[in-house]
Amino acid sequence: MDPLAELKQTFFQECEELLGALEQTLQALDEGSSDSEDVNAAFRAIHSIKGGAGAFGCTELVGFAHVFEAALDHLRSGRVAIEDAPFTLFLRCADAVADLVSAARNDEPATERPDLLEALAQVGKSPQDAAAAAPAPAAKAPAAAPAAPAPAAPASAPAAAKGDDAPPGIAALGGLLAMVEAKTGAAASSNDGWDDEPAAPAAASGKPGRDVRLRIAPESDLFRRVIEPRVVFGSLPADDVVSIRCDLSHVPPLETLDVSDCFMRFDVVLRTELSIEDLHSRFDFTLASEEYEIEIAEQAEVSEPAPAEAEATAEVPSAVAADLSAILAKLGPASEPAPQPDIQPVAAVAAPTAAEPAAQRAAMRAAPANEAAGRQRQAVSVRVDLDRIDKLMNLVGEIVITQSMLVEGVRSLPYDVYAKTAEGIATLSRQTRELQDHVMAVRAQPVKAVFQRMPRLVRELAQTLGKEVRLVLEGENTEVDKTIIEELADPLTHMIRNSMDHGLETPDERVEAGKPREGTIKLVAEHRAGRIVISVTDDGRGIGRDRLLAKARSRGLVGADEKLAPEEIDQLIFAAGLSTAEVISDVSGRGVGMDVVRRNVESLGGRISVDSEPGRGCKFTLALPLTLAVLEGMVIRCGDDRYVIPIASVIETQHLSSTPIERLPFGQEVLRWRGEVTPLYRLGDVMGSSGQTNENIVIIAETERGNNVGIAVDEILGQQQVVVKSLEANYGAVNGASAATILGDGLVALILDIDSMLRLAASGGRAHSADIKNTLSDLKLAG
Amino acid sequence: MSLELGEKHFSSAQPESAARRIVTFKVGDRTFGIDVGMVREIKGWQATTPLPHAAPHVRGVLNLRGVILAVYDLRTAIGLGQTDATATHVIVVVDVEDKTAGLLVDSVSDIVDVPVSAVRPVPDLERDENGLIEGLVLLDSDIVALLDLAAVVRDGGGDAGLKTARAA
Repeated sequence: MDPLAELKQTFFQECEELLGALEQTLQALDEGSSDSEDVNAAFRAIHSIKGGAGAFGCTELVGFAHVFEAALDHLRSGRVAIEDAPFTLFLRCADAVADLVSAARNDEPATERPDLLEALAQVGKSPQDAAAAAPAPAAKAPAAAPAAPAPAAPASAPAAAKGDDAPPGIAALGGLLAMVEAKTGAAASSNDGWDDEPAAPAAASGKPGRDVRLRIAPESDLFRRVIEPRVVFGSLPADDVVSIRCDLSHVPPLETLDVSDCFMRFDVVLRTELSIEDLHSRFDFTLASEEYEIEIAEQAEVSEPAPAEAEATAEVPSAVAADLSAILAKLGPASEPAPQPDIQPVAAVAAPTAAEPAAQRAAMRAAPANEAAGRQRQAVSVRVDLDRIDKLMNLVGEIVITQSMLVEGVRSLPYDVYAKTAEGIATLSRQTRELQDHVMAVRAQPVKAVFQRMPRLVRELAQTLGKEVRLVLEGENTEVDKTIIEELADPLTHMIRNSMDHGLETPDERVEAGKPREGTIKLVAEHRAGRIVISVTDDGRGIGRDRLLAKARSRGLVGADEKLAPEEIDQLIFAAGLSTAEVISDVSGRGVGMDVVRRNVESLGGRISVDSEPGRGCKFTLALPLTLAVLEGMVIRCGDDRYVIPIASVIETQHLSSTPIERLPFGQEVLRWRGEVTPLYRLGDVMGSSGQTNENIVIIAETERGNNVGIAVDEILGQQQVVVKSLEANYGAVNGASAATILGDGLVALILDIDSMLRLAASGGRAHSADIKNTLSDLKLAG
Repeated sequence: MSLELGEKHFSSAQPESAARRIVTFKVGDRTFGIDVGMVREIKGWQATTPLPHAAPHVRGVLNLRGVILAVYDLRTAIGLGQTDATATHVIVVVDVEDKTAGLLVDSVSDIVDVPVSAVRPVPDLERDENGLIEGLVLLDSDIVALLDLAAVVRDGGGDAGLKTARAA
């Protein structure tokens, strides 16, 4: 890829994130947030998109973004009060920007949106005009409603300014840092250490205890003893620390400086209830007793610099002290949300009195910016190509395999060698498992990536369907492997469409039913029992059981005289051929019914269920594994071949001898299992295993339709976590198997897919088994 | 089924600018060749895991440093029955289109440079209904059949398989 195209790619990736942020902040504002930081964030997002678009010559995008930005600027500057801003319009503009971005990405002609441009231009001119120009028929009319000519929200103006100049020359800071690191060794790193400390209490003076002054003068070999100042301070209760001063006066001139020596001295003031002995014991491991002294300073003047040291040296180049204080002043706002305990350099040559107020001013400036800095820090991340992570994941998978090969290999060693090796192998096992977990964590992404597409879907559908809907998102930061993220969008889209289309009533119907005009759809994600559970809840009319049941009867899915419990009726929504569109509402089907959703979800090893309360609403719950990259499997043997059955599909295992096998008229073998007629398949026959089979065990497994089947195998070899490897990548789909894995001996085993296996069995020469399967499932449904 | 060529033998001494570098390998007494660029590596025989109801020439899948690839038995593909694989047999790992595959052969013989003009079309006399051979190269001592790898692996994953069932 040529560098420009690559850059462009990065730009579009960024655009996606920016658009997500834009939509999120606008949504928050629409829902009543009056945080000026949200306005700033929205402005910054659109500003960045505009900037990038300009660089890549996306003129339509630039044009639109420019107008949008100008409109947002009115908010930022306070010319339009946040409460009066037409966020519904802004949200639609954000959608339009997203369209323009994707058009630019795919090199398609962009659609002009003169209506939106016109409306945007009205923002800030006169509220009445703005509202008139903002056609907001569906969502949140009140938000767009005009108000009295907007008085500038006074608070937002100064705060708005700070957003743009947040990075005050990071490069300069970096340069300074490098300089000081070179000069003073770990001076900067000692500062880093305090980044991690919790904030000291603001009013230390109100704290009980007495003031204790510690003078710490480590020997110059401190670093070589592998002790850092932060370790030393870490042994003190962070809450007790009133201040720490770093005395750099002993740093020699640059020419003679050995960076591995420590020349820093510290003057620490504590307000603590610890006894002197306690304090001594805390330094036992880090400092020799002559390297520090503790004195009880009755009402010590906390903020006075230590004058003694100030005079101690003459050689320190003043630049060092000046640099450091400059750094600290800059570090304050940029990366240190809690300015206390503050490290102030006792600048020896530069007049200490001058250095200190500067640092204090820095701390003062830091205070208002803290919040913003905190937010920025959360977002610190590295952009890594997914490919690389996949490669890393593959490699880890291989290490796991190699490790299990080793485990098997060392068993044959003579005992004395084995004992030594085994310990190392055990450690290796633990470490590889840990490594795998961490790499999986790197791949994990918050479901936000999918969730943030939903508000737009809801907005657009609400408009089409003439319904008023509020979408509530919860647990967007729940993390799940990227393989699952990719698979989530479709089922979620269907579920939300279903809820909007069939679940929620029209505003008038709702009012009649005594509900608020605006319907609510709640999308919630959470971790539960090693799975990710996502629910879509609406407060609509619930499932129309009578119509659903009638439809199922007419389709012959339910016997005419059969009685079903209400919950059983609800589950019919997932039955094949019973598209909810046909059953519950007259709005024509949107293509795919819930049965397809269920099938897709189940093919991922997940489950979907529905709870409905007539008149009150309906809740779809989706449970999926956290990853598709590894699965818990049962390793079995049949003939000479080994297979893996996903534990998720296994219900029970038992000895074949304890289970009488019977035959149906066409020859299909069946078991009686828990009083049900369960078809039995011999794995060796179905999968064409090589070697002599001798089935001893029957595994009762569950199919996607919820039916049970018995699978006869020779032996169960164990249960283990296996790394899922694609067969499609280098070969193609294999009937009966969903993928493959590599076992401890390096050989490949197929991961069985029960449903695909049954289809294979049905087509594999035994002409009647498919009919029998259907007969059986009907039997089951009937019973 | 033998190569019955009534054609004249080609003398490879002719100077030629464009040349193909070809890896040659043996199955029985036949010599086959593929462009060296397609060969990723050559490794000894390693047990494969059979795939259910795959085409006869699909020996199964194996693990090559964490990647799963299918191994095709060239002997079966040309209709000479299954290779009784031993440690001396060789798997030629090749890149075909966007996939990686293994080719089970008896042994790897040589790497030869041949001018492009030395590649002859396959005469009609040769029975090659699956189109596995894309051309012939006549060396002094040998006739090398250049394999169309895409055709060899074409039916991988499908259930049809090559028409290899014909009696050898």
